[in-house]
Amino acid sequence: MFRYIRKRLTNLIVVLFGVTVLSFLLSNISPVDPAEAYARRILKSPAPQKIEEIRLKMGLDLPLYQQYINWIGRCLRGDLGSSLLTKNPVNYDIAQKLPATMQLVAIALFWILISFIPIGIISAVRKNSLFDHLIKGVAILGISIPSFWLGFLFLFIFAVTFPVFKVIDYGNIKSLILPSLVLAIPTASSFVRLFRATVLSNLNKDYVVYAKARGISSNRIVWGHVLKNSLPPIVTLFFQHLGYMLAGSAVVESVFSLKGIGLHLLNAVTARDLPTINGCVLVIAIIFVLCSILADVINMVLNPRITDKEEGLYE
Amino acid sequence: MNKALLKNKQILIGLALILFVSTIAVFAPLIAPNDPNKIDALNKFLSAKGEYPLGTDQLGRCVFSRLIFGARYSLGIAVPTLLALGTMGLAFGTAAAYIGGRLERVFLIVCDIFMAFPPLIIVLSLVGALGQGLEIILAAVIFSMWVWYAKVIRTYAGIERAKDYILASKIAGCSGLRIVSRHIIPNILPQCIVIVSTGIAALILMVSSFSFLGLGFEAGTPEWGAMLNQARSSFYSHPRLVIYPGLCILLTSAGFNLFGEALRDVISPEEASE
Repeated sequence: MFRYIRKRLTNLIVVLFGVTVLSFLLSNISPVDPAEAYARRILKSPAPQKIEEIRLKMGLDLPLYQQYINWIGRCLRGDLGSSLLTKNPVNYDIAQKLPATMQLVAIALFWILISFIPIGIISAVRKNSLFDHLIKGVAILGISIPSFWLGFLFLFIFAVTFPVFKVIDYGNIKSLILPSLVLAIPTASSFVRLFRATVLSNLNKDYVVYAKARGISSNRIVWGHVLKNSLPPIVTLFFQHLGYMLAGSAVVESVFSLKGIGLHLLNAVTARDLPTINGCVLVIAIIFVLCSILADVINMVLNPRITDKEEGLYE
Repeated sequence: MNKALLKNKQILIGLALILFVSTIAVFAPLIAPNDPNKIDALNKFLSAKGEYPLGTDQLGRCVFSRLIFGARYSLGIAVPTLLALGTMGLAFGTAAAYIGGRLERVFLIVCDIFMAFPPLIIVLSLVGALGQGLEIILAAVIFSMWVWYAKVIRTYAGIERAKDYILASKIAGCSGLRIVSRHIIPNILPQCIVIVSTGIAALILMVSSFSFLGLGFEAGTPEWGAMLNQARSSFYSHPRLVIYPGLCILLTSAGFNLFGEALRDVISPEEASE
């Protein structure tokens, strides 16, 4: 167990290091000379010597690995540079926009959580029933539907034809119901498919036969034993999707005009505001890695056996 | 197994949809009644009639012809990209599984690093740094997605590699390359077809969502996501301009998903053994 945790921790440190290197490289591929760009921003027509001076001052003449060390030092101190668009520090902007997106993603995750477990289990237990076929059809529709289009359909149906919701609405939970549903439906659909398959394969295992032989009611077998054993793969996926939804929210935020991190990032791309883009990329990637740790921890609590099994995998 | 495939209605429906859209894409110039880019300023927002089977859009262009040509963009991008992803996935996945050991561990860590960057984030970051362009979108998709394919294929190849016949062919003196290309790859091919088919659906959705956000295509390209983006300002007055392209995306990706998911049901060992 402790060996497993130690191994996961070293793995984590290597991954975090790799993520920062990749973020740094992504932020350095722009053909625009940052020293010149900066000089042009503060001076009207900078002389070549002035640009060189700024280059030295910003440490841009150093070899790439030293620039990386300087950059990571600044990031650790919470300094991600300042936005070209809003002139605010990038981390201030992110802190302003992230909560709205977090709220949206949290509600979407709630929808996913309350839908896929019961639906997946019922359609696995009643395999090939009408319910199972119906769910299968709906799930395939759910993974095939473009989310932006679904957003417009929802707006058209629930805000125009039957005005239950407002077209543009801010600041309350009700305004997040439609967007979070749009964000949740594709993920929930793929989870239902996957969870049903996992439950089915678990239903065929020996421990189910043994539990039946012991006279445990089939309800308890399914909702206790089988559920617990079917969760680990989906927990990993669940947290992976949490990270992806933070990024995927750009589409939904664009349809519903919500002011979250996705739309902020999109505006930054249109304005070619590189410091903001790089800051957002780093923050989202790190949230993603943190989510995968959380998934590991939850899996370990749910099912301590995994720690022995997976040891061989990383050996 | 072939009989089971032909009896499966879902596979047939999926295949029919795929063939339908592919035919439209190939013969687009013959099917489309009008030039998809011809602007007719006098005939904006026409409703469906004679010359324009589905009416005209905000610039007076024939909606039907634009939808027909849109099939070319969706399939023309998704299919080659997925072939590239599949080839990379097969090469790296089988190599990691076959060689194993320390290399496999490094491979898994590289996978974890790349997986921390969602495709949309890579696309936004590259477009922000290098500017618009279809090749940038494709590069970003391949950059962020290849590990997903490689990782899944590694799992399948690892299961195959542990089987006795691989040991037997090793004893018989087969080279590593021969074992991978002649034994492992053919045996995991059915699973790979499932990944490819559902992967094409996912890519069609992904690329159309990028173009919906205004990334990748020049203004005015008759691509479904881009058409939706241009029509959104007139959504409340002319919802059909938004409805049609979305329906096309839905039908195309549903075709690939129906086919892939049904194939998965047929070949997946847990369910087949019942």
